[in-house]
Amino acid sequence: MLDDVIKAYNEAVLDTDRALALQIVADAVAQGISPEDIVFKVVIPGLDLMVKAISEGFDTNLAQHFMTSQIAADVSERMLVLFKTPPEIVGQVIIGTAAGDLHTLGKRIVIGCLKAQMIEVTDLGVNVSAEKFVNEAVARKAQVIGVSAMMVHTARSENGALKVRQLLKERGLEHKIKLVVGGAPFRYDPELYKMVGADAWAENGVSALKVIMDCIKGVKA
Amino acid sequence: MTTSMDRLVAAANGQIIDHIPVFCNLLDQGARELGLSIEDYFSKGEYVAEGQLRMLEKYGHDNVWSLFYVGKEAELFGCKKICYANDGPPNVEDFIIHSYDDIEKLQVPDDISTHPAFVETAKCLEILKREVGGKVPICAYLTASMSLPAILMSMEKWMELLMIGEPEVRDLLLEKCSNFFRKEIEAYRNAGADILVYADPYGSTDIIPMRVFKELSLKWMKRDLEPGGLEGVVYYVGGARLNSVAEQVINEVGINAYYPGPLDDIGESMRIVNNRALCAGVINDIRLLDWTPDEVRTEVQRIVQGGLQVSNKFFFGTVVMPYGIPDENIKAMINAAKEFGRLSLPASD
Repeated sequence: MLDDVIKAYNEAVLDTDRALALQIVADAVAQGISPEDIVFKVVIPGLDLMVKAISEGFDTNLAQHFMTSQIAADVSERMLVLFKTPPEIVGQVIIGTAAGDLHTLGKRIVIGCLKAQMIEVTDLGVNVSAEKFVNEAVARKAQVIGVSAMMVHTARSENGALKVRQLLKERGLEHKIKLVVGGAPFRYDPELYKMVGADAWAENGVSALKVIMDCIKGVKA
Repeated sequence: MTTSMDRLVAAANGQIIDHIPVFCNLLDQGARELGLSIEDYFSKGEYVAEGQLRMLEKYGHDNVWSLFYVGKEAELFGCKKICYANDGPPNVEDFIIHSYDDIEKLQVPDDISTHPAFVETAKCLEILKREVGGKVPICAYLTASMSLPAILMSMEKWMELLMIGEPEVRDLLLEKCSNFFRKEIEAYRNAGADILVYADPYGSTDIIPMRVFKELSLKWMKRDLEPGGLEGVVYYVGGARLNSVAEQVINEVGINAYYPGPLDDIGESMRIVNNRALCAGVINDIRLLDWTPDEVRTEVQRIVQGGLQVSNKFFFGTVVMPYGIPDENIKAMINAAKEFGRLSLPASD
């Protein structure tokens, strides 16, 4: 039965049909599938499947990324309160948009995916200073700082990711905190992340999940 | 002497007079030409017109813009807060729509041509029309009803309403945006704009699923454009890709000019359009920040030859043209587009 649930859930997500996905999960729980299995055997593998599909060139769109993230976050939130014991937190991430940048959609997609994966996320909002990114990361013992920038001048700004890198270096934090960037300018120039001092970049909000997971593992190793 | 308008008309008829039309979206760069801050530059229509004319003289491309910045459309709805940068385009800082209740209250201006937020644009258009009207295509940027909500409520909130919100609320907003569009395109036409860039990133399946494109984008596109007709309209999807929807827009809406995204395969774009309309070859202009002039030239050659191999109903274009692009790269791009755009290669099957 779990296989049928997984298949139906993944199809609903791909079709951006949130109502159907939630119904499939509700029916599965009513039929005895545990909330833990819903999260760890349906939702998280579903996210991984989407990440893999995108990495293999499957043509997806922004709305699918948004819905994948929202459905995963919605279902996880509903299931977590039903868990017998609280799940282990995989990592801590600080996220926000670069100084001068007010675009929030990409950040929201990333946050939804991370939360579904049991990663604690602190959302610093928009137009975040480099100092705030680093101070919050230190205060919350985060393994990753995620900087989102939708415009060329905010992606490349000396007050954005470049300054976060500079502060991490000055404070001797580079081995403890990784810097991940994302947003349209990075998609149109795949080498840009290196120029702004990031450790990694993600082409879209869903793919950011794997990139950030890898960074968390790297820091913890 | 051949004018830019002559080149464009020739291209629309599948001919090249001297070279293909070379369109370049130089906007913020006008501030540098005039030695002004970006905020000061966009404060007066005279400055923007002067900036456009100076850049036309300097670079020798084939179009001028009446666009200040995209957030101007939000100002027509009452937005008062724009975030200015020193080295990039201004952005909407305070969205007009904070909650779905605000959609009910949203007022479409009765007359855009007399709206205070249009005064400077009208001045700009008046100067451009006086100085180069009829000789150089004057471009206007008009956001489609399906995409306009992104600057009224943010991309995030619009995506949320579009994908999981109440259809009645969504449709009310779309109707208001479409009503606005109809008035806006009329105002721009009356003020002297020749090229009406119909900006619709939400009309690309990079942003929305094909199902939503068919159900909503096409429907609202038809409604937006129905009263004023298609004269001078260019279908533009910003940085997104066009190819997957081009056939449907041609068949169902009938727009006569298409502007693919920089990540579209230009040969494929031209084959889809298939001589039924004018089509642009568009450079990934973010890379102009770091490429050498030789690299720029090579990329322009690839794009222009790729387009002309299929048809002469072709022109060259850019997208965002970041402020920091070095002058020599802008010149290298435009010169290369003219150089390779002179070659009329035999069309391949």
